[in-house]
Amino acid sequence: MEASIRVKSRWAMGRVVPRLVLLACLGDVGMRLPRVDPWSFRGWEALSAYRSPAAPFEANRRYDKPDSYGDLAAMGNLPELRQYRPELFTTDALGFRNRADAGSRPPAAIVVGDSFVVGSGVSDDETVTSRLSALLGCPVYNSGGIDPDPDRILALARKLGLTRGLVVHQYAEDFEMPAAPSEGRRLYQRALAAMDPRIGALVGRVRGMLTVSPLQIASERALKGLEDGRLLPNRYVGRVVRGRLANGDPMLFLGYFFGKFYQKREVPTAYWAWLQKELRAGGLELAVVIVPSAYRVYRPFLVEPKPRPEAVDDYPGRVEEELRRAGIPALNLTPALSASAARRLPERGYLYWRDDIHWNAEGTEVAASAIRDGLRDQLRCRP
Amino acid sequence: MLFNSLPFLYLFLPITYFVFWRLTSKTRRYVWLAITGYVFYSFWNYKFCALMLFSTLVSYLAGLGLLRWQDPLRRRLCLVIPVTLDLALLGFFKYTNFVLTSVNGLSTWFGGQTQFATLDIVLPVGISFYTFHTVTYIVDSYQGRITPTKSFSAFASYVSLFPQLVAGPIVRFRQISDDLGKIDRAEETRDLDKAWSFFVMGMIKKVLIADTIGGIITPALASYTELTTLGAWLCVLGFAYQVYYDFGGYSDMAVGLGYMFGLRLPQNFNSPFQALNIADFWRRWHISMSSFFKDYVYIPLGGSRGSRWTASRNLMVTMLLAGLWHGANWPCVLWGGFIGLLLVVHGLIAPWWERMPSWAQRAGTFFLFVVSLAIFRSDSLTMIGGMVGLMFSWHPGPNLVGIEVLTAAILVGGALAHFGPNTFEMEHRWTPSYVTGFAALFGVCLFVLYGSAAAPFLYFQF
Repeated sequence: MEASIRVKSRWAMGRVVPRLVLLACLGDVGMRLPRVDPWSFRGWEALSAYRSPAAPFEANRRYDKPDSYGDLAAMGNLPELRQYRPELFTTDALGFRNRADAGSRPPAAIVVGDSFVVGSGVSDDETVTSRLSALLGCPVYNSGGIDPDPDRILALARKLGLTRGLVVHQYAEDFEMPAAPSEGRRLYQRALAAMDPRIGALVGRVRGMLTVSPLQIASERALKGLEDGRLLPNRYVGRVVRGRLANGDPMLFLGYFFGKFYQKREVPTAYWAWLQKELRAGGLELAVVIVPSAYRVYRPFLVEPKPRPEAVDDYPGRVEEELRRAGIPALNLTPALSASAARRLPERGYLYWRDDIHWNAEGTEVAASAIRDGLRDQLRCRP
Repeated sequence: MLFNSLPFLYLFLPITYFVFWRLTSKTRRYVWLAITGYVFYSFWNYKFCALMLFSTLVSYLAGLGLLRWQDPLRRRLCLVIPVTLDLALLGFFKYTNFVLTSVNGLSTWFGGQTQFATLDIVLPVGISFYTFHTVTYIVDSYQGRITPTKSFSAFASYVSLFPQLVAGPIVRFRQISDDLGKIDRAEETRDLDKAWSFFVMGMIKKVLIADTIGGIITPALASYTELTTLGAWLCVLGFAYQVYYDFGGYSDMAVGLGYMFGLRLPQNFNSPFQALNIADFWRRWHISMSSFFKDYVYIPLGGSRGSRWTASRNLMVTMLLAGLWHGANWPCVLWGGFIGLLLVVHGLIAPWWERMPSWAQRAGTFFLFVVSLAIFRSDSLTMIGGMVGLMFSWHPGPNLVGIEVLTAAILVGGALAHFGPNTFEMEHRWTPSYVTGFAALFGVCLFVLYGSAAAPFLYFQF
């Protein structure tokens, strides 16, 4: 009888449930201690989770995944449209996506910008900077992933031994245009540029542990498996637009951008003029490369959703024209990519992943050739 | 912050609990409960804490006035001023834009040119609930049903008590004053099992039943014109169980949290889907709200005294106001009117209705409630017309996405709601195997909470 009462009191709700909550909490904390690599589907998430605030990625890391896939398929929870590919993602001592020996020789140029520069979706030797390095025969430094801020770019150039040279700002039209920072923001950027790498690594580690939960990733994946659009409605599908090309192949586009495509946008020339002035003061020249969205390149070949009949605003063309008028070297990649896309489509060759916002290895190859030709006068190898 | 969120379970609740039970004096416990209420509230919008504090201060001072003064004029002022202030704040935040858009609509209807710009007003979460807390306190003090408290910390802890702060139950001071008065003598472990039992059941109802149903019917109702007749009925039926398990789950969690701190909160749902008629239904559904409207609106209007017409008018006014309380929009007002009409008609046909077998009375009551939800769930008058049209004329087409899961959830939820006991009817003394089962389901809830942004409770919007 007493034993039975003891068992019952041990198994009372007021004992079991709080202990379960505690166990779940401790389990969550414990799972945050190892790196998140096995839980991630591509290098970007794995290597940015514990990054120093002063760098886009963790320094000196190597991420190798044989079955990485695209961000749009992940965002829209559309596993049937994933394009699996191997991804090797290596970072240097400064936390940028370059080979470990990247800083040993002054580069021909520093390329800043977003995930298109980093090479999200492609392997190390397929990024646009890797292809450009191969074409030029000298290093081009990939500093994608940080704000195109003059203080940080100048600090980076000093670390790389680049006293005079070229900064290429590769700007993808999918993303919001940066604005000139406030004084407070500049102070923050300067503090980041001067941050001790060890402190940065520690801050990154703590922040990553607080914000990244493998248990959350596991739960999301399990729920996404149920929310497949058949068993349960797929609540993620509205984030992407599912297109069909004339050759019958599906292609995904970013839903957010899709809605904005037909709106006329302002060209923020003043921002680049300011950036050029700031960089010039530190001995660096600026060139701007405009990357069109996958929708702009493949819109003429879409049968579904049918492109709207109104005229399309040639935003990348206007950016290029206005920048040149302001005395800033600029290159619009739309003509080169559109022409190449049209040539490859009959053979089902693509320049952008069909499950991703970003370009693939063929896209970076075309882009690198166009940049080499378009910025021939500015891009020179250092002795 | 939501009860069904990890920050609440991992941080807020343990800290609030452990500190509370380490404090020994009454005042310290009041102060701690008040502070945690404000912290809990500030997770939505810290700026509105000042509004709640203002409402608390005004009502507390009114209570002191009622305690001190006996002359009718001063007492009346102590009633009218704070109640007017409280209701004016509620009216401004909740109903200003509704009035403006309605005036604009009327103006257009009559061919007028006047158009008022709507204001950029954020509705403070829970204002409908804590306003009613303070109003009941002042009115009950004025009528001598309670003795107003002299302790500001006790009153502040009552108004900002986090388990009932943002979605009820609408606890009257007299329902909780005994427990508040003995808060320093409360025993930590006395009701702990019951507390967790209520909390776990509430969490399971919310996360596993209500949110599963909501995940299927919310996107379907967003494009309701594409629904079939079967789909429309399933959505409305699903919504009946969603709102029951959502708010019933919330109420259970609130009651459980109350027990954790030695406070007994009142029952809010008494198996409403087992009601025999629509009047019985409103005695069982959201009891704290329906009794508020009965005691503070219907009876002061005259209640059932007087002619049949007067009683019906009082009922209609009360239910129209209850509808308006649920939402500042015309579908909610119409819904209140529809329920009022059902209550009036029930008064007329009660003898005939009661001759039916009890299962038919229950089924009929539930059917009428489900039909009323087609009005309640609609965003506009157009949607009401569309939904009613879909439900009562044949529209074939492809099945809803998730129809199998929705059907299963409706069957399980329906069986429990129509035939099972409610949480207040249970003894909450579980055998180890039951505890293991509940703990396993609670574990599933925790896992789900990780992967989905915690879904707010439906009654937060009211």
